[in-house]
Formats: sequence, structure tokens, C-alpha cells
Amino acid sequence: MEATTLADQLLVRIAEEHDHASAKVTVVGVGQVGMAAAFALMTQGVVSELALVDVVADKLRGEMMDLQHGQAFLRTVKVVASTDYAVSKGSKICIVTAGARQKEGESRLELVQRNVEIFKFVIPNLMKYSPNCILVIVSNPVDVLTHVAWKLSGLPQNKVIGSGTMLDSSRFRFLISERLKIAPQSCHGYIIGEHGDSSVAIWSAVNVAGTRLQDICPQIGTSSDPENWEQIHKDVINSAYEIIKLKGYTSWAIGIMVSALCNAILKNQKFVYTLSTLAKDYHGIKEEVFLSLPVVVGESGVTAVFNQKLSEDELEKIKQSAKTLNGVISGVKM
Amino acid sequence: MMSSSSLAAALLSSVVEEHHHSSAKVTVVGTGQVGMAAAFAMVTQGIVSELALIDMVETKLRGEMMDLQHGQAFLRTVKVQASTDYAVSKGSKICVVTAGARQNEGESRLALVQRNVEIFRTMIPQLVKYSPDTILVIVSNPVDILTYVAWKLSGLPRNRVFGSGTMLDSSRFRFLISERLNIAPQSCHGYIIGEHGDSSVAVWSSVNVAGTRLADIKSNIGKPDDPENWEQVHRDVVSSAYEIIKLKGYTSWAIGIMVSTLCNAIMKNQRMIYTLSTLAQGFHGITEEVFLSLPVVIGEGGITSILNQNLSADEARKISESAKTLHQVVIGVKI
Repeated sequence: MEATTLADQLLVRIAEEHDHASAKVTVVGVGQVGMAAAFALMTQGVVSELALVDVVADKLRGEMMDLQHGQAFLRTVKVVASTDYAVSKGSKICIVTAGARQKEGESRLELVQRNVEIFKFVIPNLMKYSPNCILVIVSNPVDVLTHVAWKLSGLPQNKVIGSGTMLDSSRFRFLISERLKIAPQSCHGYIIGEHGDSSVAIWSAVNVAGTRLQDICPQIGTSSDPENWEQIHKDVINSAYEIIKLKGYTSWAIGIMVSALCNAILKNQKFVYTLSTLAKDYHGIKEEVFLSLPVVVGESGVTAVFNQKLSEDELEKIKQSAKTLNGVISGVKM
Repeated sequence: MMSSSSLAAALLSSVVEEHHHSSAKVTVVGTGQVGMAAAFAMVTQGIVSELALIDMVETKLRGEMMDLQHGQAFLRTVKVQASTDYAVSKGSKICVVTAGARQNEGESRLALVQRNVEIFRTMIPQLVKYSPDTILVIVSNPVDILTYVAWKLSGLPRNRVFGSGTMLDSSRFRFLISERLNIAPQSCHGYIIGEHGDSSVAVWSSVNVAGTRLADIKSNIGKPDDPENWEQVHRDVVSSAYEIIKLKGYTSWAIGIMVSTLCNAIMKNQRMIYTLSTLAQGFHGITEEVFLSLPVVIGEGGITSILNQNLSADEARKISESAKTLHQVVIGVKI
């Protein structure tokens, strides 16, 4: 290039450019989940700068270019991608979607251990380049891996968040809305505990415009309910398996969850979402485990945990959830 | 599906029958990478209140529909449906066509086009049947030929059938220019017209930033004797798709954003100018009945105007050639 380029002739520089935007997010893992999250973050204008990290350079570059080519119509300023974690420098949020998938016949503990080995590489690298970031863990089993990420990162527990049952609650609200024929946004309900088979649906809190469904139908969610609303919770648990069977994987809904979560953090929104957090001392849980509870989320991560009133049965279930998760985490070699 | 819930009846007293479909309904035909990227972009950007997906494989359709529905509590899209039956597309303001055969190894372009014509022969009349006032947006490649085919098969006026064309090329062009100038792509204005393919035409004469033409600063911009080799930017645009396909297997996100932006412009009657594939006969000395991309004004009625762009003699010659190339393919097609 010549000394005086067209760029030089067109624009007269008066100050140095800022190194990176303040609303920068890194996504680790450019599989279906990572890319759905990245695309949602961009189309919704949540981030001004996005970094993608993975281990396969070609795929990374292809994904980066494909996102960049839409930039003229979006509000995201910069998209970078590299196998080198230096590209994640200065991130406000680091989202981890990378991880091994369960092999046929593989025990859950074996899968967890494989993912722990991956996290032993990923987490310290992220912390090295963004020591003040908030870690959002999506990889499964999310409650255990959020716990692992917390231990490996050295961050205070409010800055390590698992997507947890945010998706379960979203599915729950959608399925309730289908029965009531109103918008899911107007149906309020929470699923807490393990993001998995032992999640707990808090039927006592399900409401529309403040009217508890349980006040109209006291057996709602129990096995004696003639309308079998319990099926909705079963459908939520089965959702992932069903979608995987139909299209091979799930991506769009979790992508939307991640985008909404990042937006809440970056804009210090203080929304209440059910996310995987350190649950010790809540609901009589004695074990040091991560599982989903309704939490307030803002710029510093989780700033408060909601003191939800649970029924005897719900308390029992969540304590069971905690025991199950503790069983897994105590078998993990950090 | 549960019958009407008595809890629902106890909770809500109906005042009047629900409206059957919303006015901002879009159908996407084809749930491959492009179709789903377009669908996801539209729901995350709140552009549609109702989305219908159509394809041939029921299981995939249902899986995609469920995956979108499960995020609905956080979106503004009210309804997502999916079916192999075109009846699900009823009342669509816009029908986006991404379905089509891909080129087989050794297959001629004409043979590929003919295979896609057979697919369109079933698809297009069905879409028009269920949404006679719809706007057809064609994305399937080769887009200029298939937009022409769709127009012929639909019986719709030419303003309501257009192709995504070089909207994506222009977006890539602006991005690559912005990288050289270190400013936002939104502030770099430039158009690529003609065929969405190897013979596209970069209109260097009108590339500008804040109204300042780059050609006024640098008269040989885009020409072979340009020491800064700005022509490489256009070459990179032309090879973009091939490169991304080599790296990640297909392209999806950028074209998804194009479709979403385009649908938004139509829904909101924005009157934005985009380079889209339209009937080009009568422009720039083109005498053939072909579709290729020109800068057009887009709104609720589809394409309402075509920009009378000032082209250099060289640019006009190139677009004329583009038209001839496309015409050669079109006349070989049995519609």
C-alpha cells in the first residue's frame, strides 16, 4: 500500500481508536448452540463486539465471515474469531457452549469428567484475557459444569451463571400459554432445580395477571388433577429429547435464552430469571451445589436470590435434586 | 392436544372470536440452513407476528417449529406453525422461497435449473392459491433465473415477485469497503447489480462515504491500473460464497439477515432502496425479458420504483452482458 491511501485522503484522524467496545461478548464453541446464541446476540443488537473461539480454524473463519457479511444491516460493530483466546480480551461476558456430547453407553460421570478436562483449558484461558468478566455456562450437564467453571475460574460465585432452567421455564410458559390461548409473556411460571429430569415445577407460583392457577384448580400439577396439567412439566423435560429426535439437536430456543440473559447483564436490567447458581443454604440445601433458582441478574451477575415459598413436596424435590447433583460433583476430579 | 380447558374457561371470559391470522404473517418454504436462518432472524428481530414453515420432511419441520416456539416467551412473534401442507401458509403477506435442488457434481447449470423448475411448478401455484395477494421473495439459486420462473408460474404482477439477488453482494461489498476505511459498513454506500453470481457488476462510479465519491478522490478505483487494487474487493465479494462454503459447509447468517431486513421493509412500507432481482427489460439498454438486480424502492406493495442509476459506459456494457448470459439460460428452460 502507498503512503497516502484513499483512506488517508478521505478521513483525517484526530484521536486514537478505542481498543474494543465496552459491550463485548465472547462465545466459546461454534456448534449449533454457540452460533444460534451468536446470531441472536447480533440480530437483537445486544452486543457491539463479538468474539468466537473454538478449536477448528476453518469453521471459525467461515462463521465469522458469514456474520460479518450481514453487518451493514446490524448494530454489531466488530466480529472476530480465533483459536487463540487472546481474541476474547476485554469481554464483559464469556459464554461457554463447548463440550463433549454423551457417547452411547457412557455414564454421566464419565461425560462430566471429559468436559472437566475441556474446561480446565477453556476457563483459565478466558480468565487470563478477561479477569473481570461474567461467565455464562451453557454446556451440559449445566449445573455440574457451572460448578466446575466456578471452581476453575476463581471468580466470586455471583459472576458464574449457568443457563440452567431458564429454557425449561420458557418452555413451561409456552406450553401453559397454548392451553390458555394467551401470550406466553402473560403466563408466569417457574421451573427450578436441576436442568434435567429432576427439575421442579413450582405450580403454586404459576399465575396469569396475578391470579394463581392453583386458586382456581387446587390439584393443579398433582396426579389427581383431571386436566392433567402435570403433563406440561413432563413435556418440558422431554422437549430436548424430542427436538433432538426430530431435527438432530436444539439451538434456537437456547440461543434466545443466552441473548436475553446477556442483554439483562449488559443493560443492568435486574430481571428475575431461573438460572443455575450456588444453592447452598436455600430451601434447606446443605450441599455445595449449583442448581437453578429465580435470581436477579444485572451488570455484576447474580445480585440476589429470590426467597421463593415452596410447598413441602417441592422442598423435598429440590433437596433431592441437590443430593443427585452433589453425588455427581463429588465424583469429579478437578 | 387437550380439549378446551375448564381452568381456561374459569380464568378468561371470551368477549369475541379470535382473529384467524395476523396481518404480519410470513411463510418460509424450505427449512434448510438458509430458510431457518431467515426464520430465526425474523423472530429475533420481531419482524413477524406469525411465521409458517413449509418443507417436505415432517419430523424436521416439527423439530424446528418446537425449537422456535420454546423461545417465544422472550420474543414478539405470536405464532409459529409448520406443515408439509401449503394450507398452513394461508393469508401470508410474504412468502419466502429458499427450497430447491443443489447442483450435482458434473451437472450443467441448465439441468440444475430445470430440476428446480419442476419443484417450483408444484410450489408456486400453491403459495399463490393460499395467499393470492402475497409478495414472493425468491432466494433459491440461481436466484435471477428462478425469480423469473416464479414470476411466470405465479401469474402475479412483476412488482410482487422479486429475488434477493445482489442485496447480499452489496452487503458484502459495503463490509469489505468498511474494513479498508476503518469505519462502519452502514456509512459506506456502494451497489453491486446484475447477476447474483460471477458476472455481477460493481458500480464503482457511485461508491461513496457521506456523499463523497471514492471515484472523485481516486479516478482509477476498481480498475486494473489501480495500485491500491480496490477491484480485489469486488472479486472477494464474488468468491465469498465459495469461500464460506469451503470453510463451514454452507452460508446462512448473512442471507438470513438480508431476508429479514427485506421483509421488514415490506411490512413497514419503508421505501428503502436495495439491489434486488427484478424484471430488468428496458433498463440500461437491456432488451431481453430477464430478471437481474437493480437498485429498487421496496415497500408494502413490493417493488414500487426502479432507480435510474447513472452507469459508466463500461458498467452499462457489463450489465448488458449479464442480461444476455441470463437470457441464454432462461430460453433453454421449459416452464
